[in-house]
Amino acid sequence: MTISPRETLDTALQELLDDILFMSSMVEEAINMSVQALKRRDIEASKQIFADDQKINEKHFQIENQGILLIATQQPMARDLRMLAATLEIATELERIGDYAKGIAKINIMMGNEPLVKPLIDIPRMAEVSLGMLHRAMGAFVAGDVDIARKIPKEDDLIDALYNQVYRELLTYMIADTSTIDRANYLLWVAHNLERMADRVTNICERTIYMVTGEMMEMDQTYDEWK
Amino acid sequence: MKIDIKLSALQAGLASSKKSNGWHSIEARNLNVFYGDFLAVKDVNLNVERQKITAIIGPSGCGKSTVIRAFNRMNDLVPIARTEGEVLFHGQNIYAEEVDPVEVRKRIGMVFQKPNPFPKSIYENIAWGARINGFKGHRADLDDLVESTLKSAALWDEVKDKLNQSGLSLSGGQQQRLCIARTIAIKPDIILMDEPCSALDPISTLKIEELMRDLSVDYTIIIVTHNMQQAARVSDFTAFFTLDELRAGFLMEYGPTNRIFMNPKEKVTEDYITGRFG
Amino acid sequence: MSANPQRDEFGNAQSGQTEATNRFIFIPNLTSRHRRGRIWAIVFLASTIVGVIALTALIVTILNDSFGYAAIQFTVQPETLAPGEKTLEQMTCPELASLLEENISPNRFRQIQSEKPFSERTQRECYELVITEVAKPKAVETWPLFYSLQYRHELALYVEQKYPGSELVFRSWISKDFISSHQSSDPLLAGLRTAILGSLFVIAIVIVVAFPVGIAAAIYLEEYATQSWINRVIQTNINNLAGVPSIIYGMLGLAFFVRALEPLTSGTIFGATVSTTANGRTILSAGLTLALLILPVIIINSQEAIRAVPSSLREASYGMGATKWQTVWYHVLPNALPGILTGAILSVSRAFGETAPLVVVGASTFITYDPGNIFSKFTTIPIQIYQWTSRPQDAFRNIAGAAIIILLVLLLTLNATAILLRTRFSRRLI
Repeated sequence: MTISPRETLDTALQELLDDILFMSSMVEEAINMSVQALKRRDIEASKQIFADDQKINEKHFQIENQGILLIATQQPMARDLRMLAATLEIATELERIGDYAKGIAKINIMMGNEPLVKPLIDIPRMAEVSLGMLHRAMGAFVAGDVDIARKIPKEDDLIDALYNQVYRELLTYMIADTSTIDRANYLLWVAHNLERMADRVTNICERTIYMVTGEMMEMDQTYDEWK
Repeated sequence: MKIDIKLSALQAGLASSKKSNGWHSIEARNLNVFYGDFLAVKDVNLNVERQKITAIIGPSGCGKSTVIRAFNRMNDLVPIARTEGEVLFHGQNIYAEEVDPVEVRKRIGMVFQKPNPFPKSIYENIAWGARINGFKGHRADLDDLVESTLKSAALWDEVKDKLNQSGLSLSGGQQQRLCIARTIAIKPDIILMDEPCSALDPISTLKIEELMRDLSVDYTIIIVTHNMQQAARVSDFTAFFTLDELRAGFLMEYGPTNRIFMNPKEKVTEDYITGRFG
Repeated sequence: MSANPQRDEFGNAQSGQTEATNRFIFIPNLTSRHRRGRIWAIVFLASTIVGVIALTALIVTILNDSFGYAAIQFTVQPETLAPGEKTLEQMTCPELASLLEENISPNRFRQIQSEKPFSERTQRECYELVITEVAKPKAVETWPLFYSLQYRHELALYVEQKYPGSELVFRSWISKDFISSHQSSDPLLAGLRTAILGSLFVIAIVIVVAFPVGIAAAIYLEEYATQSWINRVIQTNINNLAGVPSIIYGMLGLAFFVRALEPLTSGTIFGATVSTTANGRTILSAGLTLALLILPVIIINSQEAIRAVPSSLREASYGMGATKWQTVWYHVLPNALPGILTGAILSVSRAFGETAPLVVVGASTFITYDPGNIFSKFTTIPIQIYQWTSRPQDAFRNIAGAAIIILLVLLLTLNATAILLRTRFSRRLI
């Protein structure tokens, strides 16, 4: 039998990747559930999501502790160190996305028994696209695929377009009927959370590219693009 | 205190080139070293920055010690060693015909892996080197030299009451600092260190690393080490050597330490740094 | 392999190899291993005991011969020789000389005269001459120490019966007289003085010649010589010369120093000859011959000592910008000196005891005067011992034993000096 010189480190890094994939799936589940619950006006489900956010935070701390321990005991260098740093950053991003899911659940609870201002079409669409982006971004991270990681942030345009659409629509409702302002605002918040989620996914892709190439790339829109 | 030095080709070269070649204190150009027929080190081209710490890392047998010993002509002491190519010290090739290796070694000092102070008193360890290199001055001047040197080597407080005791009565870390002290007593330009801490305990190692930092203000330091964390901690530039199929050592990658350890260009370098070599 | 070891109920990791290693059988055989060890220990102890017994036997034999009873008988009683007032010991040299002339053959008188004229002899020497030549005391029989101590009474009776008029004296054959007297054909008067002086002179020459030459050659061979075939030939020759029998060196000394270099070694070049029959058989020749004898050993030993200096010391010196000479003088030599000295003094001890080459080179077997300078004839202690043991009288064996003790004392002194110098030099290094 041969012994690989960094077997302990390799095993530990593999476990860490498994953990972050698990966390990612927890977060995907949370976002999906929270939007579904909003659509169905299921308060109980939202309360459950609210409570489950605790588990996501615990997972985040566990990954963070494990990562710091690895730095102290294994002195990883170069690629290993970049991967470890990326993992820790991504865990934070995922935890934020989990907070967005919790936010959506909170809004559902706050709206209580009031009906939705309008049937939800674009918001679920936004969630679907964002979730897809997140799923593929995590896949690219684990595989170290730079090409996919470069392409995903471009889908942010679609999210922005959907957000604008939701914004204008809700604005119309608010102007037409001022009693809907509260509820429309809530829905705007939901859309905002989902738009922020897409930004977080962009960060995850940046981290993936850093891990592989060693270069930090800002992939947000430039000012000119935005104009 | 002055050290009187005979003017020589090397000295003249130094005087003229300080104006022209400011940054590199020592350069290897197409350096090849043979032991008999065996090519130990192949085609080394390396420019060492002045007053910086440069680390040479690599797997065992890749010629790190051979390269560093080529910089002060210590390989001349091995009968079967043969050096081809040039090593430019401030622009002057130290392997040129008219250059005296004895003078090269005065200008380029060396600290060895196992501390080897002379079996003389601590005072004599430092004074002897000064004397044979033409120190002119009274006993009081020599006392001053010994004191200032030991202070620079962070050893004065520990030995100031026992200067007449043998150098061998000190601990390992202290002995190595004594060796560093006697090397800097003759005011070299460059200090070569061949794995200076590998025989020492961790605390002594860290003390000597801090000492290196202090010394690099005045001296150029080149250190060979097989401890990568040490190279990462202490050096400004890192040169990574490895072996080819014929077991000849060659320079694989050279650059600022931060880049080499965070994002090396060559895969072989990265494999070595992350510990996945071989 | 062992990333996830099996653990037992206490949490201890189990080796996955247990099944595999159970295949191999280990038969404990501690008793037989220890027994074998004890047997070897006994063998080594026995060897040491054999050595100790041999050494003890040597010392006992020597002591036995060096002390004991002797029956002394005078051929002519000394009292009858002295004229009325004075005893023989009180007479002056010229008086003793004339007494001598009366009592011995003219030839013998002339011989004594030519060896050393009476005018140059001390009173003691003249007295001894008279005793030796005229009174002629004889030790008619001597007995070894243990026998003497055991059978004291029986010996007294025996001597009274067999040698009437003789004395039974307990004699320590080592005495101050023994060391300070000259050679003599009478064992009672014979002394080791000439031989001691001769040995010391010879050894002085050996040291002065062999040490510098040997150490310098070793330095050259170790530090300066390249690995060329010439140097390898030289090295091989030196190694072989160390094993050449000493008598060959004697023959070399005879041919070269005694005969070929006769003007030099006899001192005629310098006009420093001692006696009228000058030739090359002098202390100088002997010293040079022995110096050649121990030279290869000194070179080899010094080379070993120099080689034993750690290369880290040399590297440290070169690294400081020292030349080869500075490195050798300030570091290599001081470090190698204890080893060099020990070996050199041991070689000198060996030279002290050499007999065969000096016999060939021509040590005199019978001289009765001190060597004046290095161009004089000589004898050494081992040769004297050899000469005495070949004489028939009992008593000569006794004084041979006494001489051996003197020789051993001198050798021990030399070795003690070696140890002293070595510790003194090594203490300086630490």
